[in-house]
Amino acid sequence: MSEGSTPQGKHPTHSVAPALRSLVPVLVVLTLIALVPLLSPSNRFLSLAISAGINVIALYGLSVLFGQTGILSMGHAALVGVGAYTAAILARDFGVGFWLALPVAALTSAVFAMIVGIPSLRVGGHHFVIMTFAFGQLLAIVLTNGGDYTGAATGLDMVGPVNLFGADMGDLTRYYLMVVAFVAVAAVASWAIINSSYGRTLRAIRENEKLAASLGINVGRHKIGAFVVSGVFAGISGVLLANFLGHISPTQFASFPSIYLALMVMIGGARLITGPLAGGILVAFLPEVLNLDPVQSRIVYGVCLIAVILLLPDGLIAGIAAFVRKVFTAKSKERQRQENGVVSNPSEARR
Amino acid sequence: MSPILEIRGLSKQFGGVAALAGVDLAVEEGEILGVVGPNGSGKTTLFNVVTGVHRPNAGSVSFRGRDITGSAPHAISRAGIGYTFQQAMAFAGLSMLENVQIAGEHVRAGANANTPWPTPQALLDFVGLTALADEKAGVLPFGSLRLLGLALALATQPALLLLDEPAAGLNDRETTALVGLVRQLPGHGITVCVIDHDMKLMQMLCRRLAVLDFGSKIADGPTEAVLADPKVLEVYLGGDL
Repeated sequence: MSEGSTPQGKHPTHSVAPALRSLVPVLVVLTLIALVPLLSPSNRFLSLAISAGINVIALYGLSVLFGQTGILSMGHAALVGVGAYTAAILARDFGVGFWLALPVAALTSAVFAMIVGIPSLRVGGHHFVIMTFAFGQLLAIVLTNGGDYTGAATGLDMVGPVNLFGADMGDLTRYYLMVVAFVAVAAVASWAIINSSYGRTLRAIRENEKLAASLGINVGRHKIGAFVVSGVFAGISGVLLANFLGHISPTQFASFPSIYLALMVMIGGARLITGPLAGGILVAFLPEVLNLDPVQSRIVYGVCLIAVILLLPDGLIAGIAAFVRKVFTAKSKERQRQENGVVSNPSEARR
Repeated sequence: MSPILEIRGLSKQFGGVAALAGVDLAVEEGEILGVVGPNGSGKTTLFNVVTGVHRPNAGSVSFRGRDITGSAPHAISRAGIGYTFQQAMAFAGLSMLENVQIAGEHVRAGANANTPWPTPQALLDFVGLTALADEKAGVLPFGSLRLLGLALALATQPALLLLDEPAAGLNDRETTALVGLVRQLPGHGITVCVIDHDMKLMQMLCRRLAVLDFGSKIADGPTEAVLADPKVLEVYLGGDL
């Protein structure tokens, strides 16, 4: 990605062109997705797509954490939940609207990420997975027992409409378009992180923590930082979710949804900018396309995950890209052979 | 002149075993000091305690007069102590050049931070890897990986460089090349401390040797004198010497 980086000086400036190229497919796909309402899709399709888009925003945060830094969170839905409950409580108690709730919820989720991250990221990978898993369960328990403040097991209703430039976003198509725009912002933000020197520092930690530390990189602080960054994405995803559903409850943010998020990012591929988008869409629409009931779809997801881990460790998109490259090089070799054949014939004739 | 690195009464226990039992050692500015000893004598523990991997049970380490005992590994690096590992390491998924660039990005107010420093390319050139600059570090042969490790440590602008068995796994030609490089370092303002049990290498590199045995220093002085010391001969009898 930074093959073209200029090497002078201590802080190399990355050449923008090759990096920008990686962003183009995502933006093209998102533009196409934004045009879907022209085909007058069903409300069911729009609802599914909105849920998928909201997940994808969280997945872009998760890709910074898992794809770049190599840390897996098994409690990411809980951070989405922190954002969702923050938005709902702010709206109920203080009449805070959507746009103000966004930064506040992002900050709240980031703070929760820091609180979970500081003790657990110091002790290494597996502990972090367990700690985030426990955090997800703990949050569900706290929300369930929070009495009227958190709405207990029933959860909270989201009050207040979403307005953009005076237009009501309650309409499904409009909300759909707004979510697509948020996904685009999340993709660009994630891309900017990946292509910054900060992103490269995170990758250095992923590749070799011990070596990174020997080169003056504060490994612990950067790992916590990556988790906090992923928390910001999760918080924003939560606000969009609360406003879309109109009602939130603790089970939505417990372990299972977290496992689903981890699954999506693994299936799509965490390192490429197209991965979260592909993973989010695939997992949302697969049961619909194959007409599966929830139990069947869980089985399919499980099989998919095992298949991806065994066969495509870098995710579906990277796997497809590698396959295409292989086919392409095989074809061009074939062509080269043919051309050589054509060229060699006249020379033989001359002889 | 006071030593650049001063180790006083350093002790480290693992369970009931004393890996270091009160070691005193001073590294003088501008020298190449060798720390030798048979396997299990505490060389790598000494290295790990100085670089912050382990916390000592007793004793202190001070660098340029500043107490750095128990500092974190990244803080040690930022203070101006570069170090390489016994196992050659690099960021396998990144190119050689990117490896060295990253290594130079986190330099803080370390000892040599204010002096002009070679660019990442110049460092790759110094260790003779310019031709491979765009190759991914993961595909490198072992010898090149060692040299890259040296370039990475140098990119952190160290005033003191600690090398843990820098020639392990290298062939004779590669070892000679490495010795040639390390010998140049004091001329560039970098003090070197090499930890190894390979006496041939140490004789080529160091004018002064310190010998560890069972976590204690048993000899310290000019290389020839140390090698003639009966205590040292006894430790190495049947060993590498």
